[in-house]
Amino acid sequence: MLAQLRGIVKTYGAVEALRGVDLELRPGEIVGLLGPNGSGKTTLLKVIAGLLLPDRGGVTVLGGSPRRCRGAVAYLPELPYLPGWMRTAQVETLFRRIFPGFRVDSFRELIGVLRVPDRPVRGLSKGERGRLELAAILALNAKLYLLDEPLGGLDPVSRDRILQSVIAAWHKEAGFVIATHLVAEAEPLFDRVVFLREGKVVLDAPAEELREKGKSVRDVYLEVFGDVGLPVA
Amino acid sequence: MKLDPSRGPIYLQLAQEITRWIARGDLQPGDRLPPVRELAKRFRVNPNTVVQVYGELERQGITHTQRGRGTFVREDVEVAALRRALLQEAAASFLEEARALGLTLEEAMAALQEVVHARPTEGDR
Repeated sequence: MLAQLRGIVKTYGAVEALRGVDLELRPGEIVGLLGPNGSGKTTLLKVIAGLLLPDRGGVTVLGGSPRRCRGAVAYLPELPYLPGWMRTAQVETLFRRIFPGFRVDSFRELIGVLRVPDRPVRGLSKGERGRLELAAILALNAKLYLLDEPLGGLDPVSRDRILQSVIAAWHKEAGFVIATHLVAEAEPLFDRVVFLREGKVVLDAPAEELREKGKSVRDVYLEVFGDVGLPVA
Repeated sequence: MKLDPSRGPIYLQLAQEITRWIARGDLQPGDRLPPVRELAKRFRVNPNTVVQVYGELERQGITHTQRGRGTFVREDVEVAALRRALLQEAAASFLEEARALGLTLEEAMAALQEVVHARPTEGDR
């Protein structure tokens, strides 16, 4: 087991972001963490990444506290994180320095798969920048990859390459959690889908099991969240 | 081919697609199937799903897996039988559509004939 969460509660002031979340993450699995904006996806990923401490409940990541295994957990934040002056080569140098296990070969391969041009970050399009930031995270030698909206706001070509890059980075010992609201596009990538609604897990099932019953993940998503009234791509 | 997640499990759709490659001769008996990750990338599907696809094809007696070497189309695979099975499936959905439209078998056959005459080169193939 890569991670185990029991009864996680997290509040921001009066807002309950997570209201008792149970979740297990296993090696070799790509999990889709799905739900509309504000359902608690980012908070949950940050709790697993050790960036937020829950108010209640237990989190075990790789057998210990999330804060003690930061190097083995790779987290892609939803918002841009690289400074504008950096080029691909400088991102590589920075990541090599900070993360001893950074896989330079993978990084260069991913830069190719994701077609990231060699220009300073500030000269990249939004899609190119997102792809560069993802390449750096996927090249970390981690056991658990937590990707917060890696497809959000990007063009179709970028989204397609990102799906391919996740498959390129996938291996049997690592687990992936991909938080997204672009359900239709990403659903063939998921082993398992976890639906988060108002801070609670309302569904946790193998994706093929849903399709076995004649419904796509998108169909079920629309049933569960249809009343929330947010668009599904 | 485009996968349609609302039409049943993806592994079955992909297994059928590979069967179609064999039926069409794109893959021959004895040929090696693409490595798991390559096929996963091509269809943008989960690699575990491809593992399941290869398991399903093996169960159906179409492929066999050699440890460390890959998955191969069996030498004794009956290509003609695969072709017939795929065509029967297409025929069944054709017939289903005709029935849903309230047409008789004769009317359905007549429609097929008309298509053949309208597109003779494809009909002769």
